[in-house]
Amino acid sequence: MIIEETKSEKTQEIKPYVEVKDLVTQFFTARGIVKALDRVSFSVYPGEIYGLVGESGCGKSVTSTSVMDLIPDPPGRVVSGEIFIDNFNILSDIKTLARIKIKSETDVRIKRNKRALKRHNNVLSHIRGDKISMIFQEPFLALNPTMSIGEQIMEVIMLHNISSISESMIRRENISSGDVNEFITKYYSLNDDTLKRKTVNNFTASYAIHEFEESIISLLTTSDDRQYIETEILNMIRENKSGINIENIKTIKGYYDLQREIFQMTLKLLQAERTGETSAVNRYTTEIRKLKRIESGNFFNLKMKLRFAYKHYMAEYRKEARRRTMELLTLVNIAGPEVVIDSYPHELSGGMQQRAMIAMALASNPNMLIADEPTTALDVTTQAQILEIIKDLNKLIGMAVLFITHDLAVIAETCNRVGVMYAGNIVEEASTVETFNDPKHPYTVGLMSSVPRADKKREKELKLETIPGTVPNLITPPSGCRFHPRCKFAMDICSLKKPKLVEISKNHKVACFLYSDESEVE
Amino acid sequence: MELKYYIIRRLLILIPTALGLLLMTFILLRAIPVSDLIANYVNQRASPAQRAIEKQQAIALLGIGQPLPEQFYIYIVDILHGNLGNMYSNFYSGPVIVGIEDYLPFTLELTIFTVIVSVLIAIPLGTFIGSRPNTVADSTGRVFSLIFFAMPIFWLALVLQLVFGKNIGPLGAYGLPISGQGYPSTQQVGFIVNGVSQPTHMLFIDSVLHGDFPLALVALEHLILPVLTLSMSILAGLLRFIRAGMVDTANQEYIKTARAKGVPEKMVLKKHIRKNALLPSVTVIGLLVAGLLGGVVVVEDIFKLEGLGRLSLAAVVGTVGNNIQFYGVAGTILFFGLILMLTNLIVDVVYAFLDPRIRY
Repeated sequence: MIIEETKSEKTQEIKPYVEVKDLVTQFFTARGIVKALDRVSFSVYPGEIYGLVGESGCGKSVTSTSVMDLIPDPPGRVVSGEIFIDNFNILSDIKTLARIKIKSETDVRIKRNKRALKRHNNVLSHIRGDKISMIFQEPFLALNPTMSIGEQIMEVIMLHNISSISESMIRRENISSGDVNEFITKYYSLNDDTLKRKTVNNFTASYAIHEFEESIISLLTTSDDRQYIETEILNMIRENKSGINIENIKTIKGYYDLQREIFQMTLKLLQAERTGETSAVNRYTTEIRKLKRIESGNFFNLKMKLRFAYKHYMAEYRKEARRRTMELLTLVNIAGPEVVIDSYPHELSGGMQQRAMIAMALASNPNMLIADEPTTALDVTTQAQILEIIKDLNKLIGMAVLFITHDLAVIAETCNRVGVMYAGNIVEEASTVETFNDPKHPYTVGLMSSVPRADKKREKELKLETIPGTVPNLITPPSGCRFHPRCKFAMDICSLKKPKLVEISKNHKVACFLYSDESEVE
Repeated sequence: MELKYYIIRRLLILIPTALGLLLMTFILLRAIPVSDLIANYVNQRASPAQRAIEKQQAIALLGIGQPLPEQFYIYIVDILHGNLGNMYSNFYSGPVIVGIEDYLPFTLELTIFTVIVSVLIAIPLGTFIGSRPNTVADSTGRVFSLIFFAMPIFWLALVLQLVFGKNIGPLGAYGLPISGQGYPSTQQVGFIVNGVSQPTHMLFIDSVLHGDFPLALVALEHLILPVLTLSMSILAGLLRFIRAGMVDTANQEYIKTARAKGVPEKMVLKKHIRKNALLPSVTVIGLLVAGLLGGVVVVEDIFKLEGLGRLSLAAVVGTVGNNIQFYGVAGTILFFGLILMLTNLIVDVVYAFLDPRIRY
């Protein structure tokens, strides 16, 4: 009883940032339906690194792209399931998006609902990049060849961070001696150098005065006269102030805030539509209509200006975005960011490109990062550096990471928890230590024994073991447990029923009839 | 910065290309027996004394008796001095260079309008059908582009004349003028000298420059059908390329990145897919213009427009008793080649501007 209570308490405390439930993704090809994912469920908690591991072609990348709902359509579709990102089910309107009529394996008619798709994509464009972002396997292919690195990173900031930039700019315009005084007091109250530096950084960032960071630091280290420092900093900011039209910034901020409000309403509307509360649906629809009327009434001029003179009108924001981009490039250890920011992807090495990708993914301060085999295309030293960056970011910012790889060594080095995938199913899920020391599922056992190890166990048998056979063709997957044709311990039941992923010990889940009799209901 | 150096380098490459072009026309001329060349230069209707003088001029112009490299040198010097020889035909008689000066601008006008019209239609249309592959719109677009791409220009020109032509089609007197009715030579306006408008020799642009908008309208009316005829094939070819580019680019990994960044669907299409998809099409425009110049000859003849195409055709046909006009042919070929060179220069610069990978 007591154990159960603490457990339920714990689940109430920490809610998963991303929760995937019964995700089914299929590809409708001319040769048949590829059942790429078959009821995949897992969750990623804030601040952890969750690893997905498996052979090639077992659905790892499909999982990651499905979480962002980026499966190329046609041929693929997320057919059913739920994906909660920050407590919002991005697939809540999946039923209305398309009607799939399966006549036979090779003859599938999909009728897409264009209006619903438009709204779906619109909602997702607010979530992708903002709450959750992604880095890809081959940075060279994943970067737009005709846009400079800086442009590509700035694009993310200009999409998601206009409001926060406006806020810091307005704050800079209205800066008072009290604000500076507060900062100086805080600075002197700290003893640690790195903390001091961080305070300066926070101060300059929140007032959008990054260009003064160096001079402020030198001022603080050379002088002891607080009054003098305060007036100097204020002078610096006020001299720089000229030329910015604060009214413009306020209108732009108003416009973007309104957009955000409409988006929030749309989310509520979607939620209400799913639960079927007609009154709530009506209420939210009128609310959205009202907001849209305000938008077209008050911001018509601004919209036209943004449409035809975006670069000119947003110049101040672009300057700020560029500064943030520079900061991001420094954060991911790019040497010479001032050169890299204006260079094109083909001018950089693979490691640099991947770093730029990571900088791009971090640009909007997302709470979660999906890393889809980020180190596969890189050499070992660069790989180590990239992993180090991801681990550091996870620790510093507390960003959750969904890490996808087929490299067990990488998993062992980075992840907190591991999900082992086979042919579109998660077959085992446990903490990294347990997965490596006490694998349960025959597939996981096979994977572990196919890795060369330097410990005593392996001394006798130098020959590496392999798992016989290959990953099955997912157009015609094996019945029951998809692993049974390759399994040493296959029983009769394995080909008849599909085992369910059940918890056999604390935080250790296995889908295998060797450990539990539970099967999935078809 | 890099782009500037690329353009300079590209301009320098023009020099050997131009020399190659000159060598080609030179060889074409020298492949003809010398006696024929001399006979061609001389106006057969002139007095015997005049003919003797012109014969001497021809020998000097060709550098007969000198070694071939010397002759090539003389040829280049002559061309630089604007001396391309004479031609005699029903359409135009006189020095070739004067004929080209009079008729080239119209062809340029026609080509520029054609390229602009087809590009302006092809890009939005290609974006539209390329962004929804395998739909009804896409299939219709593809079928039509294939039909128009395969359609012979002379046939299309005739059909358009029959349908839209003034006084012959169903539109009657409200149709568009054909057969050059009312074009410069018949206009009586101050800035038209000897049937050629001043200063650019392009009637539409000149009349706009002089503020004579009714005449500009007349000039535009004359351009509509020829431009339509010529742009159909370019438009069709371009449309197919843009569509293919769009479909190909939409499947690239970096488009997935753009979506993963949260770029709205509209912006993905405009900023990420279209810009990359247009790259191959830019090169194709250069190639299509080469085909267009062949069409110009036919279209100018059918619509009785006075351009370089008519001149070259007249040079090929010649007059009775004095068949093909070699100098006229060589001169017009040279200028068609120059148009092509310039088009490719523009195409290359635009390509470099769009694609940073080119500026090495």
